[in-house]
Amino acid sequence: MDEVILSIQNVNKSFGGIKPTDNVSFNVKRGEIVGLIGPNGAGKSTLLNLISGIISPDSGSIFLNNVDISRMPAYRRSRMGIGRTFQDPQFLLRSKPIENMLLGADLANKNRYMQSYLGLSEDKFTMKFAELLEISGLNVDMSLRINDLPYGQRKILEIVRALLGNPQILLMDEPAAGINIVETEMIVKLINYAISEQKIGVLLVEHHMDLVMSICNWIEVLSSGTIIANGVPEDVSKNPSVIEAYLGRKSDVIS
Amino acid sequence: MASNKNREILIKTGWTALKVALVAVVVIVFTSKANNYYFTIVNSALIYVIAALSLSLLLGMGGMMSFATVTFMGIGAYATANLSKVLHVPTSLSILLAVLISALIAFLIAILLTRLKGSYFAFASIGLAQISYAIFLNFKPLTGGPNGFSNVPKLIIAGIEFDNLKKWFYLLLIIVFLAALSLERIRRTTLGRSLAAIRDNEIAAQSLGIDIYSTKIITFVIASVYGSIAGALIAHMNTYLSAYLFTFDISVSFLIMVMLGGVNSTTGAILGALLVTLIPEWFRVLQSYMKLIYGISIVALMIFMPSGLTGIIDSIKYKVDMEKKKKRNKDYSNG
Repeated sequence: MDEVILSIQNVNKSFGGIKPTDNVSFNVKRGEIVGLIGPNGAGKSTLLNLISGIISPDSGSIFLNNVDISRMPAYRRSRMGIGRTFQDPQFLLRSKPIENMLLGADLANKNRYMQSYLGLSEDKFTMKFAELLEISGLNVDMSLRINDLPYGQRKILEIVRALLGNPQILLMDEPAAGINIVETEMIVKLINYAISEQKIGVLLVEHHMDLVMSICNWIEVLSSGTIIANGVPEDVSKNPSVIEAYLGRKSDVIS
Repeated sequence: MASNKNREILIKTGWTALKVALVAVVVIVFTSKANNYYFTIVNSALIYVIAALSLSLLLGMGGMMSFATVTFMGIGAYATANLSKVLHVPTSLSILLAVLISALIAFLIAILLTRLKGSYFAFASIGLAQISYAIFLNFKPLTGGPNGFSNVPKLIIAGIEFDNLKKWFYLLLIIVFLAALSLERIRRTTLGRSLAAIRDNEIAAQSLGIDIYSTKIITFVIASVYGSIAGALIAHMNTYLSAYLFTFDISVSFLIMVMLGGVNSTTGAILGALLVTLIPEWFRVLQSYMKLIYGISIVALMIFMPSGLTGIIDSIKYKVDMEKKKKRNKDYSNG
């Protein structure tokens, strides 16, 4: 299980005088959850956008299964296996949950247009969807429009949709932000299933430290666009430069 | 659960049966009472339904405000007219060829046009409508110039000559039905969902593997197919073409049809097209004020009912459903 899925090598990106990504390199292996943490404005979201292709890097490369994807448009990257969830879940707001989930199934379906016009392959999707819901333990009222569902349910459904797309790696932007403990547990169940059954890699951006420390196998700490520390959760949480980045340096004047 | 589902299906088929019966009654009463005058109006309304469906696909599903529907109607109309009159191609074949020609031109235009977003796309489409109108009005060899194009051959499909308006009425009913059915089907496919995703959020759409550019091009081409079918039918039904059938004003009236009925609804487009074509006939006195009324009604529609007639009906239905559910849950928890 030591196969590297996602490899980020010396990636740089600047917007004018600001450099949100400064020579960043790290790997995500199959079956591994990598946590990406750092204070606000550290460049975590920019890095996710660079990987998923919303923006492209100034220099450096991003490899998915040893294929250089750093110059590909976003839609091709997602077809190659980069799944993504957003901090604020993105759906067809006027539609029912099922139609939104079908968007995920469309991604997994290679012969998209013709097959769906003929109405094939929806049974397989329904089974997979039901299975994922059962794993998470989520109970959704399918007759409601998606924007009438509670926020937490929407966040979980977005992860389900990403998994329906059969990704190689899932980029998650603060999945646990703004939701309750029960819902957080549901998300953990889904992530664990994705890791153990679908054998994917997960890159998790999260501020919820208990969650990060408990489920991640490896942590990369980003501050002002550079990786300042990495390691297994126990080491990172004791690392002085990490504590400094989050809490600031002890001031000599006051003490 | 199972019985619930059965009941749902039963209600659904009941509704559909009722709608079909209603349409059948209207059709039977209409055909038995109507004279040629009524057939003329209703037939042109049905053709406009097809054109409105074209805009419904672009604007409702894809969020692309296009005024170029008339461009493709005109291309379809003049193409089939020239093919059948000048080159003596059988009319049923010439319509197909006209649609292909229109689709090809739409593809080439879409490569450029779909790069634009929002109001830039709308402006470019206005330009397109004006350019195509100028061509239809002035390019004599193909369009007859200001005199128009007369003596377009009558439509013959499988040996049946469509020489009176009653026959046309039945033909148009079938074509409208098929067009509406195919549009509804598109809505429920990958293409329809992709379009809706692009309309709602382009970044999220891309991260679901949706190629925004090619999806928009495909949609533009399909919309041009609907438009050119409408145009080709006008050519063979009226047997006379004039550039005034394809002006920017007509495109604006399509916009009103779609907005009145409900932007993102096939039924809405049909309803809107019928209302907007038929109502002015009942108020002929106001004819010279029509543009003013159109303008005011667009503004009023945007302010008071942005989702149109079907949008209002849907939201009432949805609210009633939710109320019922709440009540049921209450009863359940009490007893």
